[in-house]
Amino acid sequence: MAETINQATRKGFLVDTSRCIGCRSCQVACKQWNKLEADKTSNKGTFENPRDLTPALYNRIKFIEKETSGAISWLFFNERCMHCGDAGCMKVCPSPGALYRTNDGIVAYNKDKCISCKYCVSACPFNIPRYGTDDKVSKCNLCLDRISGGMVPACAKACPTETLKYGKRSDLIAKAKGAKKALYGESDLNGLGVVYALEGPPEQYGLPENPSIPLSIFLWKDVIKPLGILGFWGSIGAMLLHYVTIGPKNIEDDEEGKGGGHE
Amino acid sequence: MSNYIERFSTSERVLHWIVTASFFTLLLSGLGLYSRLFTGYFTFFGGGQNAILVHKIGGVIFFFSSLYMYFNHKKDVSTFDEDDKEWVTKQGGYLSRDEAHFNIGKYNPGQKLFALYVAAATVVLGITGVFIWMPVLFPRWIVQLSLLTHGLIFVGSIMFVIVHVYLATIGNPGTIGSMLYGDVKKNWAKKHHPKWYKESTTENH
Repeated sequence: MAETINQATRKGFLVDTSRCIGCRSCQVACKQWNKLEADKTSNKGTFENPRDLTPALYNRIKFIEKETSGAISWLFFNERCMHCGDAGCMKVCPSPGALYRTNDGIVAYNKDKCISCKYCVSACPFNIPRYGTDDKVSKCNLCLDRISGGMVPACAKACPTETLKYGKRSDLIAKAKGAKKALYGESDLNGLGVVYALEGPPEQYGLPENPSIPLSIFLWKDVIKPLGILGFWGSIGAMLLHYVTIGPKNIEDDEEGKGGGHE
Repeated sequence: MSNYIERFSTSERVLHWIVTASFFTLLLSGLGLYSRLFTGYFTFFGGGQNAILVHKIGGVIFFFSSLYMYFNHKKDVSTFDEDDKEWVTKQGGYLSRDEAHFNIGKYNPGQKLFALYVAAATVVLGITGVFIWMPVLFPRWIVQLSLLTHGLIFVGSIMFVIVHVYLATIGNPGTIGSMLYGDVKKNWAKKHHPKWYKESTTENH
């Protein structure tokens, strides 16, 4: 990894899904603070709305309907950028400073430096980054402007049930562990910046059990890239070596005078 | 009597240099996308966004000119005969200082292999390039695979190109002229491509 992350001072969220009532205050507060446009949506027969993250929706509540012995129950899940300790988006981003890590360990971004290659879309283990009409990356940046001023992110501020708790990541984890909660994301990808206390197995929430940077992205950046550089210089070296050991295939110039017609 | 014989026509040479120019344009504009180590190459184009634009335009030019070049030479590069086998078993005489003679036609198997690789690479780089160009229109796994493949085929291409440039210049003195003004010395043709020399001299009398 290019940059180190200080696990002791790292900031983040703890999302205790058992406390969530699906009120979506977090969605609304995020839109308000970040001045994001409303999205057109459609009714697909569930209360989940909108159905996916958009360039103007940095976090949302996913509604998972579960039927157990005839009774319907809901699972609520706050979907957003996880601020991975080992972030796939940062690994592939070719534009220095477009995606960067703050001292708090947050994966922030600078639209002015984004070059619209969209590699981050392919590299994210959670399929989070979105591109809007400006053709620039957008996602949750943990209300960087608020937290750098000592405030909590808008979503956490608005959450009425303390489902979303913001603070020092290690403290939040210690407290949740003290309450005997099973945690998701404590150590995956060098620790997620958003750690969840889930009410069931991760798959139930549509989460990978062991989140990781996609294999093809790993092969591309960690295998092909270095081997390619080696191959480039190796080829040049091999050609030079050939020239000084075996040498060029010269044609006999002395026959030139005789050349021409007679074979 | 002239000591020279025509190897590449004017249109073949122009086409070759269009492919070459677009290849190196793609190389320079793509290096910054290959790795952050080469981010400095973006400045040639005035930033990453412009480099991507140049890469897309260069990609389209390369795709069509390279494929056209392949179909132009398809007859000569896609068949191998017994004399080619002899060349392959003795590595074309490139691994020894001893004089070696092979009854080779217009292209030797190494050149044919290079032509076939470039043609296949053009197709693969073109298709994966479209997926990378518009990633949000396609499933993520297709784009992920495309990024990997695009990089892998590029690495093969640059390595092949290095060998190609070496063998066409200092590795085989007398060759480069064929791609500059079109002619090679008859002695060069007799040494490197005797079968082609015989065919083209008997055809033209």
